[in-house]
Amino acid sequence: MGDNAESPQAFEAALAALWRRGRDGDEAAYAESLRLLARRLRGWLMRRLGDRPDDVEDLLQETLLALHLQRGTWLAEVPVTAWAHAIVRHKLVDLWRRHGRTDALHDPVEALDELAHAAPADPRPAQRDLHKLMDRLPEKQRRAIALTKLQGLSVAEAAGESGDSEANIKVLVHRGLKRLAELVQAEREQAAQRAATR
Amino acid sequence: MKTDELIELLARGAGPAPRAVVARRLAAPALGGLGLAAMLAAGIGLLPMELLASSGMLVKQAYAAALAAAAGLWLARIVRPAAPEGVQRAAVIAVFAAMLLAGAMLLMAVPDEQRSMVWMGRSWRSCPWLVALLSLPALALLLTALREFEPLQPRRAGLAAGLLAGALGMGGYALHCPEQSPTFVAIWYTAGVLLIAALGAALGPRLLRR
Repeated sequence: MGDNAESPQAFEAALAALWRRGRDGDEAAYAESLRLLARRLRGWLMRRLGDRPDDVEDLLQETLLALHLQRGTWLAEVPVTAWAHAIVRHKLVDLWRRHGRTDALHDPVEALDELAHAAPADPRPAQRDLHKLMDRLPEKQRRAIALTKLQGLSVAEAAGESGDSEANIKVLVHRGLKRLAELVQAEREQAAQRAATR
Repeated sequence: MKTDELIELLARGAGPAPRAVVARRLAAPALGGLGLAAMLAAGIGLLPMELLASSGMLVKQAYAAALAAAAGLWLARIVRPAAPEGVQRAAVIAVFAAMLLAGAMLLMAVPDEQRSMVWMGRSWRSCPWLVALLSLPALALLLTALREFEPLQPRRAGLAAGLLAGALGMGGYALHCPEQSPTFVAIWYTAGVLLIAALGAALGPRLLRR
């Protein structure tokens, strides 16, 4: 997985090409662009969460969820790397704030050179299990996600199975993922509070 | 869940990215806010027909429309992570500058003894507060809609939302306000807008962040 030699520009070019195809509906390209982003962002997080390595993978998963939910906010003239970066930085600052660290990140404008480093090959696993959190979703949302994303049914097939309209299935999936992101955030806040009172 | 599993899950059935998310999210709250401002204006007293069709009304609505467009476009940029917004912010400032300039030029063009009437009118004491009041529904609706985006710059987003709400409030208030002088509008309507913009900026960090 060592891609130390790749320049930030080459990375952005490859990522942007996949991201645009994903934007236009190519799900395989979208998945690949998320994988590329995951590797870069994991490295970025590992360099900044040296004191809390167990949090890296959880924060990365939370960020990927946010990237997916905010797909529509990407503008063609913004480098995808910069866009994703702004979101992960926001998540990290939020984590630090909750754990009592008040100094702001000192690199407001991320030099692209920074992103040229690859992530180490062996990430620690996530502490939090999103499967368990998904079980806590409202039933209709959980089912819509299970049908379309776990069982791989098309929206039309899922609509048939559940008796909902196709439009409703899409809304339920989106709301379910949003709710999942909220549950993740709530769990993180609780963990921070427990750590603070220890 | 492993991260690779999560990625597979997110991508499966994802389809194309949603389009025009900002416009779709903010259009209804903006229109709703404008409608409520107009209703409140009617509640405190709609102008008679000849004043509703006057050139003074045209100036007020043109100012409101220009500011709403500029503030809306700026807000749309602010909620997009890492998106450049300098041009959009400059446009907002340009709208204010143009109106103030027009108001100043008009003031210079009238003889001295008429000037205080031109820029103070009769209702300068209440005007900014009423503009701000009529903008409150729009601000509430817009801030609620903005929570969906979790903007990375909540204060700036609140400020821009306040400017947009103020523009809509101006448009509504104009239906009640009998003042005809653009200089009056440039000063006192703007003051009302700045009040609600300050409120938006203050509420942004509280309401738009978890």
